[in-house]
Amino acid sequence: MTTTTYDSSSTSAPKSSLNGGRIATRQLLGILRLEVGKNLFSPRAIAVYVLALVPVLLTLVFAIFSDVDDLAPGPVEMIGAFGALFPLYVRVSIFLGTLFLFMNLFRAEVLERTLHYYFLAPVRREVLVLGKYLSALIAASAVFAFGTAAIFLFMIAPYGFSALGEYIFGGPGLRNLMGYIGVAILGCAGYGSIFLLIGQFFRNPVIPAIALWGWELVNFVLPPMLKKISVVHYLQSLYPVPVTEGPLAVIANPTPWWISLPGLILLTIVVIGIATWRAGRMEIHYGDD
Amino acid sequence: MTEHATFENVQPRGLSAHVGETASRVDGQVVEAHGVTTETVVFDNVSKFYGEVLGVNRVSLTLAPGIVGLVGPNGAGKTTLMNLMTGLLRPTRGEIRVLGIPTTDPVALCRQIGYCSQWDAFPRGMSGYKFVRGYLRVHGYAEPEAEALAHQAIARVGLTDAAHRRIGGYSKGMRQRIKLAQAIAHDPRVLVLDEPLNGLDPMARAEVIEIFQSLASTGRHVIISSHILHEVDMIADQVVLLTAGYVIAEGEVGGVRSEMAERPIQVLVRTSDAPKLASKLFEHDHVTEVSLHDDRLGLEARTRDAESFYLALNRFVVELGLEIETVTVADADVRAVYQYLIGSEGEGP
Repeated sequence: MTTTTYDSSSTSAPKSSLNGGRIATRQLLGILRLEVGKNLFSPRAIAVYVLALVPVLLTLVFAIFSDVDDLAPGPVEMIGAFGALFPLYVRVSIFLGTLFLFMNLFRAEVLERTLHYYFLAPVRREVLVLGKYLSALIAASAVFAFGTAAIFLFMIAPYGFSALGEYIFGGPGLRNLMGYIGVAILGCAGYGSIFLLIGQFFRNPVIPAIALWGWELVNFVLPPMLKKISVVHYLQSLYPVPVTEGPLAVIANPTPWWISLPGLILLTIVVIGIATWRAGRMEIHYGDD
Repeated sequence: MTEHATFENVQPRGLSAHVGETASRVDGQVVEAHGVTTETVVFDNVSKFYGEVLGVNRVSLTLAPGIVGLVGPNGAGKTTLMNLMTGLLRPTRGEIRVLGIPTTDPVALCRQIGYCSQWDAFPRGMSGYKFVRGYLRVHGYAEPEAEALAHQAIARVGLTDAAHRRIGGYSKGMRQRIKLAQAIAHDPRVLVLDEPLNGLDPMARAEVIEIFQSLASTGRHVIISSHILHEVDMIADQVVLLTAGYVIAEGEVGGVRSEMAERPIQVLVRTSDAPKLASKLFEHDHVTEVSLHDDRLGLEARTRDAESFYLALNRFVVELGLEIETVTVADADVRAVYQYLIGSEGEGP
């Protein structure tokens, strides 16, 4: 064992000249640094990659093996097909992917008995919750934005590079692509905040998660009033290409984007606020003494 | 107003109980000991229940700087007491102040506290260095400062060579030491260590104990729990004995033992003429039993009055011209104290 002289004059706190805001920013960055890597490269991320990338691989197979003569006349029409599939990507891949990521932000650390490392740092619980939430949002957004873009591009890839380039840069393609990526990120943000909260409140969050999933899946047959108590309804109203929900769907007037967008952001903020309150009341008791 | 006070040795519960050493006090708080400014860790009638299950009950303690051992069998409430002290748990009743900071103020508290939990758990995939540095960043240290403090703490526990290896590949002893490094990296004034010597080989154990002692010598609190009684007996300046959620005694180990007046103390004497000494000792009423060693060069005596025994022993040594090799209180370890207090050895299930 190395013998060293411990410098007891070293500070027991970051330099006191720093204001609280700067320290909180450093702490937030510290949390992000620890958590983003954990969310992207730990075993728990595998499920997220599978959910995000299996549809991408299927679309890639479609792009390689499909005959352009059998497809819709052009990229614009093909994006109509993408628009019909994208809600499935949101309701299955993004929903379940964010479920794995956000629900485990606190819960997994309790199960792995590592949460006390954070709780013993002089960091405000709101900074901790925000840091953990943002780290998962960054990870989820990166994976699902990539997935969305890849599916989008593979869908129109059979038409060739020139048609693809013309659609993206000469037509509505880029706007549509950005719109879908934005919806994917908003989906991650909205669902993520809810799963963060569920992970804090429920010892076994599977049942509430399944209940929520069922609610989101059957949203299209719900009466208009009930439709509005869901994330998917507001996401749907932001799709660049309007979606028809099938013959069984109960038709409701779409909520305008200027309500949907701030509404989803507000929902996220409120839910994170509740999660922060909950984190402030959390105690750590991993097991018997 | 400042008064100078010498705190008493330890007391079984029910008597007035202050543990510590010579210190100056201002309004009940220790403000000067070992030449640095310090305060106390105070539990004021603290209870913690998990639903209907008792964690600890009616704990009132005042802990001065130095090494304090929390001793008790599994389930006694040691970890609960530590988690209460570090703010990881909130008391159901009562109040805890660490260096004057209420545990309801975790941000201020955590700057002063380092905690090494009993759990062998780490964030996955990290090297020892990243683990220590990462949480220093969460403390709010800038990158260069965090790096320097991490290197310093890792060197302190002797893991410099293994710092960049993954913790998953560490031995149990190395994992214990990297936890200790993480706990001391921000130079806390109160170090709380739950079973810190578990898994350490004798060499590492001695070195880690040396770290505890050096931290305590600078006026810091080093609060250690253990269910291995002789371990605490060797390290701690003070002990707090717990069972079933209650503090049953606190103070210096020897002090607790001497408070057990109704129980005879056992003294081992190695001398040149044990039989002669034995016959003399039997002349005293407070000596209840003397047994000679087989080699007749030693004896074990039981006495109800240690002070009178030692006075008599000194007199006999002079009168009889005896040579004394050793005089040891044979059962003044924590195990013996525990046996007296709760009628078990305190090893737990």
